[in-house]
Amino acid sequence: MEIEIDSVSSPSKVKEIDGLLADVGYKVKSSELHQVAQNIERLENVIVNSSSSDISQFASDTIHYDPSDIGNWVDNLLSEFDHTNSLPYDFSQLSDLAQDQHQHHHHHHQNHQLKVVTTVEEDSAIKLIHMLMTCADSLQRGNIQLAGSLIEGMQGLLTNMNTNSGIGKVAGYFIDALNRRIFGQNNIIHIENDVLYHHYYEACPYLKFAHFTANQAILEAFNGHDCVHVIDFNLMHGLQWPALIQALALRPGGPPFLRLTGIGPPSHDDRDNLREIGLRLAELARSVNVRFAFRGVAAWRLEDVKPWMLQVSSKEAVAVNSIMQLHRLLGSEPDPNNPSAIETVLGWIRSLNPKIMTVVEQEANHNEDGFMDRFTEALHYYSTVFDSLEACPVEPDKAMAEIYLQREICNVVCCEGPARVERHEPLIKWRERLGKTGFRPLHLGSNAFKQASMLLTLFSAEGYCVEENQGSLTLGWHSRPLIAASAWQAVPETLRFDH
Amino acid sequence: MVHHHHYHEYMQQKMRRNTSNQQQQNKRHKFFINDNIDILREILKRLDGPSLGVASCVCRLWCNLTNNDDSIWEHLCFRHVLTPPPATVRPVVVALGGYKRLYMVCVRPVLSRLSESERVMKRVWTRHEVQLSLSLFCIDSYERLAGGGGMIASDASPSSLMFLCNPINV
Repeated sequence: MEIEIDSVSSPSKVKEIDGLLADVGYKVKSSELHQVAQNIERLENVIVNSSSSDISQFASDTIHYDPSDIGNWVDNLLSEFDHTNSLPYDFSQLSDLAQDQHQHHHHHHQNHQLKVVTTVEEDSAIKLIHMLMTCADSLQRGNIQLAGSLIEGMQGLLTNMNTNSGIGKVAGYFIDALNRRIFGQNNIIHIENDVLYHHYYEACPYLKFAHFTANQAILEAFNGHDCVHVIDFNLMHGLQWPALIQALALRPGGPPFLRLTGIGPPSHDDRDNLREIGLRLAELARSVNVRFAFRGVAAWRLEDVKPWMLQVSSKEAVAVNSIMQLHRLLGSEPDPNNPSAIETVLGWIRSLNPKIMTVVEQEANHNEDGFMDRFTEALHYYSTVFDSLEACPVEPDKAMAEIYLQREICNVVCCEGPARVERHEPLIKWRERLGKTGFRPLHLGSNAFKQASMLLTLFSAEGYCVEENQGSLTLGWHSRPLIAASAWQAVPETLRFDH
Repeated sequence: MVHHHHYHEYMQQKMRRNTSNQQQQNKRHKFFINDNIDILREILKRLDGPSLGVASCVCRLWCNLTNNDDSIWEHLCFRHVLTPPPATVRPVVVALGGYKRLYMVCVRPVLSRLSESERVMKRVWTRHEVQLSLSLFCIDSYERLAGGGGMIASDASPSSLMFLCNPINV
């Protein structure tokens, strides 16, 4: 059922009361139509879900409300029921998530015409989000039964919704994650993480932005040095380094001797993935006449890497490059006797005295202890990311990129303790943390900004935005920053004041 | 009969003209562009992309030249740049796949995408745009290296620059 209400909003013709409904006897202000529709929906839910004793008590009251003023009528009824059904969250904010999807369809707003289209789809979206939040809340309170039944309800809702895009798709992943948290399913898709990472690289600009911005900072830091050493905390397929090799090859004065140390997980079977990537990069470097040496360090976790493995020489200029790796160190158990993993790693980074440390992290707060806070944050964040993915028409990259993100979502939602590695923190927290451990920020500069802007122009989707944030750069979708790139330098020991 | 006569006369006149033309020509140097490849190359260097494509269809010689002579494409790649790129650029581009590939894979899509977004045909390229194109070209070259390695599942061709070929969403 679709209710389409047109109202012209130019000042001389404002019709306060909606004409169509007035014809059938109801007085509603056009501007309030949406709110009233939502409240009627809520009232329906409440009546359906409440016990018979509540209803009979209500029915015996002899107070009559004027139903022609339907807005107030619904409000009054709702307030009668509200003491039994107080959901603690302000859902009007979350309905943005549902309506955002429909904003895209309403882009052609011209000529002061305002169309309010309430469809079954949008109502389902709002309902779905309510149920997601309630489910997460009941999980936090330990009410597993309620959570389980809500999951069934949501899965039912999804069958009537469009799950190929928008809120239906994202909600699907979150429902799945909640399901795993409760029932611990193990049907994992067996695709190598580095393959998924590569497709994520192709599908959207976040990783490209990270690589290009970090490379620009590293290039500038290596100015004037003839022996340079880059330490990459997560080599993957080494996609970041060809561009740096090429830029070094073309720099005025000629290329330096470049050493690259790539850290990555050990390979299964007999292959040595790190070495293969190193060979490929070496071939590229050789073809453009850049003297190059590669070293692979295999480690499951960053905290297992010791500085002696990196074999840094004092004569070389060192750059440490961390693309979405530092947050994985935040999950170690706090131990008063030993420094935490993040402190240990940041400590040995400082001891290497790097010319620059480039840090790229997701701009989100997914490290709160409270499950509810984390869940809400993640829902907002990944909705935005999936939104931006819609703009990518390249398959199979898009589908694989979604699986890559799904793994992140599952980790944020399902895991606790050391198993939860996706502990994203926003730039403001990283600034604080890095400042306390003896690093000072380096401004990224206008070249990096210009390059990032140009890179975005090349992407077909309009909606991405690069912003400068106190010397760091963020890339976001429609004014929500999603990834932040920053550069750091170790403060010399003599200038530090330890406390 | 009449037509035949007219035709015969016409042909005789033409042959007379031809002989006199040829006599005239014998007095001058015969000039065929295909005999002067240096001049041909200089002309081709100044063409834009689509015209170069058309030129390659003219004859076998032109086709060979446009396909194999990278210097023609070098001019095409950097014709919009204010200051010509330093000499160090050439060996790098050649090593990474050549100017023709640079043009087809990077320069042409980048130029057209940037001019679309700014709604004005850009006449001049900044060094930033040159650098970005070269970087993207290098990534493309690297991914092609991977082709035989089998590291990237089933991707046969480098897809890193596919995003440049996508139409702009409205």
